Amino acid sequence: MKQNHELTETLDFIAEYATYLLGSGVHTSRVVRNSQRIGASQGVEIQLMSFQKSSIVSIHDPRSGESATRAVRIIQRPISFVRNSDLSALSWEALDEQLPLDEIRRRFERLTAKPYIRPGAALLAVGLANASFCRLFGGDWIAMAVVFVSTIVGLAVKQRMQAKGVNHLLIFTLTAFVASMCASVALRFDCTAHIALATSPLFLVPGVPLINGAIDIVEGYILNGCSRIINALLLIICIAVGLSATLMLFKNSLL
Amino acid sequence: MIVLDILLDGLFAAVAAIGFSTLSDPPRRAFPRIALLAAIGHALRFCLMQYAGTDIATASFAAALAIGFGSLWLGRSIRCPMTVLYIPALLPMIPGIYAYKAVFSLILFLQALDDPTLEVQYMQQFFLNATVSLSVIALLASGATLPIFIFNRQAFSLTRKIRRKADNQSRR
Repeated sequence: MKQNHELTETLDFIAEYATYLLGSGVHTSRVVRNSQRIGASQGVEIQLMSFQKSSIVSIHDPRSGESATRAVRIIQRPISFVRNSDLSALSWEALDEQLPLDEIRRRFERLTAKPYIRPGAALLAVGLANASFCRLFGGDWIAMAVVFVSTIVGLAVKQRMQAKGVNHLLIFTLTAFVASMCASVALRFDCTAHIALATSPLFLVPGVPLINGAIDIVEGYILNGCSRIINALLLIICIAVGLSATLMLFKNSLL
Repeated sequence: MIVLDILLDGLFAAVAAIGFSTLSDPPRRAFPRIALLAAIGHALRFCLMQYAGTDIATASFAAALAIGFGSLWLGRSIRCPMTVLYIPALLPMIPGIYAYKAVFSLILFLQALDDPTLEVQYMQQFFLNATVSLSVIALLASGATLPIFIFNRQAFSLTRKIRRKADNQSRR
């Protein structure tokens, strides 16, 4: 049986854990399952209701009949699959090894302190990726080189704006514009310029929220799924607007 | 030459998947498997479309299914949830050219409003390209997610460490 303060301590931790996962781009059912698993390791039942910007977490101790509820804000963080894997594994460790709450919290803090991938490394990797993507669409070597450079420029601009805290819709529009403007250099060369222009802003496509939204919907978290997909669609519209600005400028040379 | 084409297609898909995945901060141990899944998936779609005459939507669905089952199979030994492996592996299959053509024909449509023949032609192109992109994306997501429903018990415990012992306990 849990004392009242133990119950709220467990609740506080699980609320922090769940919102951390939700903020890092994990789909809803996994967050619910993981949180309930940690609850089970502490001998309590957890119910979790989640929206786009906040969650309501409720804890119930079946032996004492005590319960408590908290509404917590979800802080948006960078998408992180490392944290998704590690924190999911933590929930199994908690259950299988019957860890006490202090130990779970210690491991949680260690796992969340891991560094994110370095922005410089990401620049190079994403540049190469987008160039390969261009090749998959049938682009030639010149188009690939143009896409490589324009992706790096675009992503660097995006990272700068993110660091300055610019609105994310604006970031997507401007980045798509910058990347496609750089790629319009391909029009000067005798190459597959269309493909270079088309590929240059594609590194922005919000694949993770799109697929998470689809997963949420088919798993029955329909409201959450819809809000994720609408969010992703907004970003896609922003990319389209940024690209359109370039296309308007170069319409005649493209036709 | 056919073999070389298929291998090259797989190789470029693998590079694209690894590169794009860095934007979502994946665990290092997952890189080789993401590359493998992306290469298999994209090469499968390439073969289906080039040599079997399958349309892009069906071929994408088949490739996504392969990636989904592959991530269930490969996720266990490195304790990664399926989505960590299959989302990056799906990214190289996003129908970017169709999406681009949809945007471009929308712009042309809006600028050709005084010309009835051109107007219809651009609108038709817009719908064609938008429909293809949306259906391919929807099929990619559903194809890769399908294995979760078929094998949900396995899919939900990929990140678990001591599986056998726990199974014995639950059997008792």
